[in-house]
Amino acid sequence: MSGPKGILTDVTKCIGCERCVQSCRMANDLGTVLPFRWLLDDGLSAVRWCSVLRKDGKFVRKQCMHCLQPACVSACPVGALQKTAEGPVIYDSDKCLGCRYCMMSCPFGIPRYDWESAVPYVRKCQMCYQGRVSKGVQPGCTAGCPTGATIFGDREDLLVEAKKRIADNPGRYLPTVFGESEVAGTSVLYLAPMQLDLLTLGNKLDERPMPGRTATAMSAVPPVFVGMGALMTGIYWIIERRMKAERERAAKNGTPPTDAHGHGAAGHHTHDGKEG
Amino acid sequence: MKMKRLKTVKSILWALVGAAFAIAVFRFWRGLGPTTALTDLTPWGFWIGFDVMGGVALAAGGFIIAATVYIFHLERYRPILRPAVLTAFLGYSAVVVGLMFDLGLPWDIWHMIVFWNPHSPLFEVGWCVMLYLTVLLLEFLPVILEMSKHPVLAAVYHVLHKFTVPLVILGIMLSSLHQSSLGSLFLIMPHRLDPLWYTPILPILFFVSAVALGLMMVTTESLFSAWLYEEEYELDLLQGLGRVAAGVLWFYLALRLGDLAARGVLPHVLDGGFGPNLFLVEILWSVLIPATLLTIPATRKRMKTLAIAAGMTVSGMVFYRIDVGGLAMIESTGTRYVPSWTELTVSFGIVAGAALVFFWIAEHFHLMHGGPMIKGRERLPDVTNFRPRLIRGAVMFVSGAALATALLPNAAIDGWPVVAQTVHRPGYGDVMILDGNRNDKGVRFDHKMHADIVEGDDKCAYCHHMVKPGARATGCSECHKDEHLPTSIFDHRLHQELLAQGPGCLTCHEDTSKPKDLEHSKPCLDCHSSMIPAGAAFKPRESPNIGLAPGYMDAMHGLCLRCHTEQDGNSSTDAPTLARCSTCHSGVVKPFDPLHPDQRLAAPKKDDAPKGDDPKAE
Repeated sequence: MSGPKGILTDVTKCIGCERCVQSCRMANDLGTVLPFRWLLDDGLSAVRWCSVLRKDGKFVRKQCMHCLQPACVSACPVGALQKTAEGPVIYDSDKCLGCRYCMMSCPFGIPRYDWESAVPYVRKCQMCYQGRVSKGVQPGCTAGCPTGATIFGDREDLLVEAKKRIADNPGRYLPTVFGESEVAGTSVLYLAPMQLDLLTLGNKLDERPMPGRTATAMSAVPPVFVGMGALMTGIYWIIERRMKAERERAAKNGTPPTDAHGHGAAGHHTHDGKEG
Repeated sequence: MKMKRLKTVKSILWALVGAAFAIAVFRFWRGLGPTTALTDLTPWGFWIGFDVMGGVALAAGGFIIAATVYIFHLERYRPILRPAVLTAFLGYSAVVVGLMFDLGLPWDIWHMIVFWNPHSPLFEVGWCVMLYLTVLLLEFLPVILEMSKHPVLAAVYHVLHKFTVPLVILGIMLSSLHQSSLGSLFLIMPHRLDPLWYTPILPILFFVSAVALGLMMVTTESLFSAWLYEEEYELDLLQGLGRVAAGVLWFYLALRLGDLAARGVLPHVLDGGFGPNLFLVEILWSVLIPATLLTIPATRKRMKTLAIAAGMTVSGMVFYRIDVGGLAMIESTGTRYVPSWTELTVSFGIVAGAALVFFWIAEHFHLMHGGPMIKGRERLPDVTNFRPRLIRGAVMFVSGAALATALLPNAAIDGWPVVAQTVHRPGYGDVMILDGNRNDKGVRFDHKMHADIVEGDDKCAYCHHMVKPGARATGCSECHKDEHLPTSIFDHRLHQELLAQGPGCLTCHEDTSKPKDLEHSKPCLDCHSSMIPAGAAFKPRESPNIGLAPGYMDAMHGLCLRCHTEQDGNSSTDAPTLARCSTCHSGVVKPFDPLHPDQRLAAPKKDDAPKGDDPKAE
């Protein structure tokens, strides 16, 4: 193993044969897609982890981007999703409890759910980590591609290769590699002659890492917790002390005790005068 | 017995609980897909937006009133303390029950305790729910225990009573975390949430709005129980809460608008369209109208206007949470999620169950100001004594369950797999000409035979619904994979080796000085005259236009009918494996492996091991 791995998809080389989809299906032993109500029209589902989108005569392969700083990994409350050292973002169904926060947090809308099952799991491309990439073999999709439109390798090498292709073929591509800096970088990179907004979900993304967006709020948790405790204890102690003094004074003067706002301590008394 | 209002309300609640129970059975039996309207694009729906977000918000009254009474020593609010704490406890219980429906694997909820990811806001939310639910239980337990004369229970009561203030402080600490972290949940969704709602101060907005909501929840609850049990309204107390709530609401509005201004999106509020209009309605409903009603003393002190203000704040702030939890994502993601009636019924059923528990406690314990709401029941329940009410509740429960079951869609009852059903025969009989690969070439397709071969419940869907982009049905090549091979049947190296003796290159290339292309080479059929069986239904293009070799698809279409007939019933060579070259050319051509498509291009030799995958992979 050298560096973290990645996948480079060159949109201009794709002929739309969907052999990547077929290879993915075989490599991961995925079943038949049925016409479920909850599917999106991008072709991905719990049993299709990669698909080929068609737009303006171009073919764009869609799969998990394997973000360098994945939103799903930071969102999962039980750590069922992990970013491996080799690059793939993998899923551990033994930990998952089915909250689907990963699906909500993914800026590319990748994770899918076994909605039809009574024991459902999250499903997505894992870059063939278990059977292949962890053993040094390339994923099914890149191995299956007949034109070399999607290739596997070290992410660093792929970036160099992508930039070389841009330099060697002026006008063929947009001058940016999609995935180099989007959401602080992804392991899956794209070279394309057009903007690849069709791969993202919702509002346009910037280059800030997704986990950083909750990190500030999460780092405020311990101070807020302790601070609120200290504040409440302090207020309680001060008012209690003041009222005690007042009660003593009142006992001396023989006037009835009053509460902090000066109203009579009226109201609720349970049978033994104690309060829950 | 009097209390007609109470009877009616309780009957409705029992029916709702029954309906929710029936749906619950099918939800756990058949999964989320058939029983909800959730999709891959909208994995969180009403159960998160209302049950979880709303339930937690409604529970805010608990820590607010506990702080008011115990920390700030405002003793005059003590009469509404117990109901507020009970509401919080029931609210949080409703959250947990709601989560049990929503989670895909609810029996694994304990994973939250064992597997930690402290980076996740949901991890924090989960822990806060667990801890605060425990704290609330301990805070409220004395109300139950004080009725008992049992020595052990009495001892527990005294211990708990001693720790009231530390428990209250812990509850406030957990609540302030939890209320705000529900907002933090959505910080990771800038792509989904409309900019009018997405802001780094979401946690602060959630906390501040929870304070107003908590105050108004206590007010609503107090007014409602007084109405229900036909008692006096505690207007004097409640208008005090209203005054504080007004201040909090105005502060919340200032924060909200100030944040929009700071982020430069304030002008978009008046843009029109779904998002901005939703925003305006929400602000008007949740803040402007109730805050105005609560600020003017005359309206604050009148029961009806106070009730309107309280109801609007409560529903408005739940509305705010539903916006953040889903409605404000509609435009950016293009989702069209509408909660199914099953989701709504389950949610309302959970609320109904919580309300029934509330009434039961109010009737039997010293919950309310004046003691148990129904006189003569100031004791732990006696099973022999409440049978009449149990029967009425049970009847309503069963009716609700029956109605819900009757209304459930087939999918929720039968499960989702596509069940074989009667379909019309294909328009041209059992055998038709179809252009399965959409290349303007038709083939005879025996529909009946294919339908017979493919087995299982989803046999039609096997071909008709692959749901591939742009596809209306499955192409033949999904099964007959070899059909779409590029024409690679001609192996130049193999021919070179075999023909090395004799004329060599000239065997095929008529004139070595001319280009070695189609026009100047011999057609395959000149040598391989027996390649096309005499009985083949389709003739490949004839010499001299045949090219280097017939395309594989041509060859298949030309040959398959005959071979299929010959091999009929022989499972080892029957379709679709018959399409392998090696079925006939055994030992010469390797079977096609889609993962290594190029291996077929090289003629395998004993000392020429197949190359590995892409060298980059090594």
